[in-house]
Amino acid sequence: MDELSELKKQAEDALTAANEDSSPKCKYMTFKSGNEFFGLKIQYVNEIIQIPPITAIPRTEAYIKGLINLRGKIIPVIDVRLRFNQEPLEYDDRTCIIVVIVNNMTVGLIVEQIAEVIEIKESNILPPPKRGHADRVDNKFVYGIARVGNSVKLLLDPDKLLNDEEMSSMEQANNTMIAMKD
Amino acid sequence: MAEEFNNEGMLDIYLFENQQLLEQLQEMVLEQKDEECFDEDSINEIFRTMHTIKGSSGIMMFDNITAVSHKLEDVFYFLRESHPDNVPHMELVEHVLAVEDFISNEMDKISNGDPADGDSSEIVADLDTFLTKIKGGGKGAEAGTLPSGNVQEETKQFYIAPTATEASRFFKIYITFFPDTEMVNVHAYKTVYALKEIAEDLLYSPEDIISDESSAETILKDGFRILLQTQSDVEEVKKQIGEGYDIEKVDIFECKAEEFLQGFDFGGKETQIDLESSVEEIEAKTDASGKKDVAVTEVPKKASPVPGDFVIQSKEPGKQKKLARDKPKAEKASFISVNVSKMDQLMDLIGELVISESVVLQNPDLKVPGLNLSNFTKAAAQMSKISTDLQNVIMSMRMVPLTNTFQKMNRIVFDVSRKLGKDIEFEMVGELTEVDKNIIEHISDPLMHMVRNAVDHGIETNEERKECGKTEKGRVTLSAKTEAGKVWISVEDNGKGLDREKILAKARKQGLLDDSRPESAYTDKEVFQFITQPGFSTNEKVTEYSGRGVGMDVVVQNLQAVGGVLDIDSTAGEGSTMSLKIPLTLAIIDGIVMETGHASFVLETGVIKEFVRVKEDMMIHEPNGEEYIMIRGECFPVLRLGDWYGMERDSYQHSVEDGMMLIVKMEDREICLFVDKLIGEQEIVVKPIPSYIKKVKGLSGCTQLGDGSIALILDPAGLM
Repeated sequence: MDELSELKKQAEDALTAANEDSSPKCKYMTFKSGNEFFGLKIQYVNEIIQIPPITAIPRTEAYIKGLINLRGKIIPVIDVRLRFNQEPLEYDDRTCIIVVIVNNMTVGLIVEQIAEVIEIKESNILPPPKRGHADRVDNKFVYGIARVGNSVKLLLDPDKLLNDEEMSSMEQANNTMIAMKD
Repeated sequence: MAEEFNNEGMLDIYLFENQQLLEQLQEMVLEQKDEECFDEDSINEIFRTMHTIKGSSGIMMFDNITAVSHKLEDVFYFLRESHPDNVPHMELVEHVLAVEDFISNEMDKISNGDPADGDSSEIVADLDTFLTKIKGGGKGAEAGTLPSGNVQEETKQFYIAPTATEASRFFKIYITFFPDTEMVNVHAYKTVYALKEIAEDLLYSPEDIISDESSAETILKDGFRILLQTQSDVEEVKKQIGEGYDIEKVDIFECKAEEFLQGFDFGGKETQIDLESSVEEIEAKTDASGKKDVAVTEVPKKASPVPGDFVIQSKEPGKQKKLARDKPKAEKASFISVNVSKMDQLMDLIGELVISESVVLQNPDLKVPGLNLSNFTKAAAQMSKISTDLQNVIMSMRMVPLTNTFQKMNRIVFDVSRKLGKDIEFEMVGELTEVDKNIIEHISDPLMHMVRNAVDHGIETNEERKECGKTEKGRVTLSAKTEAGKVWISVEDNGKGLDREKILAKARKQGLLDDSRPESAYTDKEVFQFITQPGFSTNEKVTEYSGRGVGMDVVVQNLQAVGGVLDIDSTAGEGSTMSLKIPLTLAIIDGIVMETGHASFVLETGVIKEFVRVKEDMMIHEPNGEEYIMIRGECFPVLRLGDWYGMERDSYQHSVEDGMMLIVKMEDREICLFVDKLIGEQEIVVKPIPSYIKKVKGLSGCTQLGDGSIALILDPAGLM
């Protein structure tokens, strides 16, 4: 059954190249970070807020900027630029926090600039190129590349954006080493 | 069939109730495991428990649980009927525990959403064998002591005794139905049901009217006979029976209690309706009237009615019933069960209230000079008082006695000591000590490891004890007390104690020793702390229970999660004591707020010994960068909070004369913490750091301050 539908979908995808209207659509929140535009599925996005005072948490990864008080709820915020290994940028009045809820976890994403909410047809989404010349870290956060008009949006997998398995397992190993020494 | 109605709520209640019943059961069984036999109350209690579990499992269609509980019920039915006095008590205890294990195992499966598919046949067979054994033994060896007639007499007395009063009257009722009545057994049951409303006790014959359709013939042929004990008079009884189209004739004779006790003289078994257990069933089901209804309607479908199968909704829950079940009833009436998530919500709300209270009371608008605030201050003081009271109440609501946790340990000691063939006494002291529910969850694992360790490693085998000349039995004592806002839980054994040399040797092998220090320089406490290292076990062989070297490190990790510490004390040859010291509660603490750089920090007031302003010349700088400070002839290591957290160099104070030193004492270690300035003391609502951020050493949580900003709560143990 699943295989069937899979095949069917593939066939449809091929068809929709010619006949785009019938393809399912999905809304994405797009934002700018560095020179690229990124997209997040709208259902993850809870709200967008201005940057409140951030309480830094010492001894964590650099991209974790700290904690903010969101109407009584304390949530962590991460800097998306730092997460993508881009140069840090001074926060200004365009800088925003996108509050996302992923796996019941509320996290704020600090982004340079909010763009717009757009509809992207599934047929316009391509898988990211496999380990091309640009072997950049941000490749693994991107699950698809969307063509919108003349521009290209990189679609983010929020789960991967927040959780860095390699890093966390290394960290754990480190921590246990430290604990052993103590 | 079970799928036809939405039984989710019922399932929850089923699991909850039965879990409680099983816990009580286990507690009771373990309490009396060292006696020669169960006393009468316990036998009845176990019987009732099994009966209730059987009933509700039947309704929920968990056949294996029903089968097992039914079998155990049979055993206890026999025990309470025949009082055999040659029952191997230990074996019985094991059987009960085996059944308890089986049922809780199945219930775990059910609560995880898995089918309860455990195989009950083995346990049932075991119980069958056991039952035959005690039955056979009773008839063989003790044949003369209990003539069978006698036994029956006793049986009936038991049922009636708790409920009979002076005012009770006894009736024999003969009902004849019209010979052409269809399904006369159902009509008979209707009558019985009507009589239950006024009955104190009720016997009828033929007894199998519900499931046995052939009983209809018997009723038509011989009539339907009822023995009734009631407070009502003849007229009322008549009214209850009513005059349906089906009843040809009703004869009611009043009789004496003795006649009533003799029952019917037609030799067959009677069905007795035991009001006592019915009341219990009703009680057990009070939270779920829906479920009760189901119970009532389900009854007719049951295969074989046994005492207590019928839920009687008595209109007069009079004194008589209280006689029998006074104590549990009083306890049950004073408790309601509340969903934990609601409690947590309430706790959160109160936390918010405390925060917004400080927002109001420390509002910058109030700082305008020249304001007359005397009325405001009075009102504010009143409000603070109320919110503090509120906090205390909600805190006390979350406090749970350690009894249950301790009982589980009792079971572990029992199991492990039986398996290892060690003779061990288990003693509990102060199990009523109350601890925050969250903390209990965190300490039950550590306690389990400690108790297992004590039984497995601590206490010697019986032979070893004899060789050492120890006359007393092996003993494990679990005790709890509150002291200075902390709970102390200790596991003490009178076994062989920790072997300092062995631990040192092992530590050397694992490279845990500091080469620059001679071994003799290690204090006993330091040496004993080695056993909390992961992978550290001095036990040569791995047993089923311990020796793999995991255990003590789990204990320590779990403890750290709730801000507790482990203290180990031991004397070779005399035993060891492991003490857990844990905070009473986690949610709201008294804290000192301070500032370093741009960040606010909070430290629990209890660990701060002193605040000192120091002079530069009191500092001692070591070449390797470490700093010490001399205060009144004592030397303390100095920790600069800004350095520790790797803040930017120029954002915080460097000159010790401009900042503030805090002497922090944790256990027997002291350090000096250097911060920029103090803000003040206030009540702190502890919130966990969002789980997204991995645990940072030295931080135990965060909180929201009066101005809405966030402060990090320091964990002194992590700083040292």
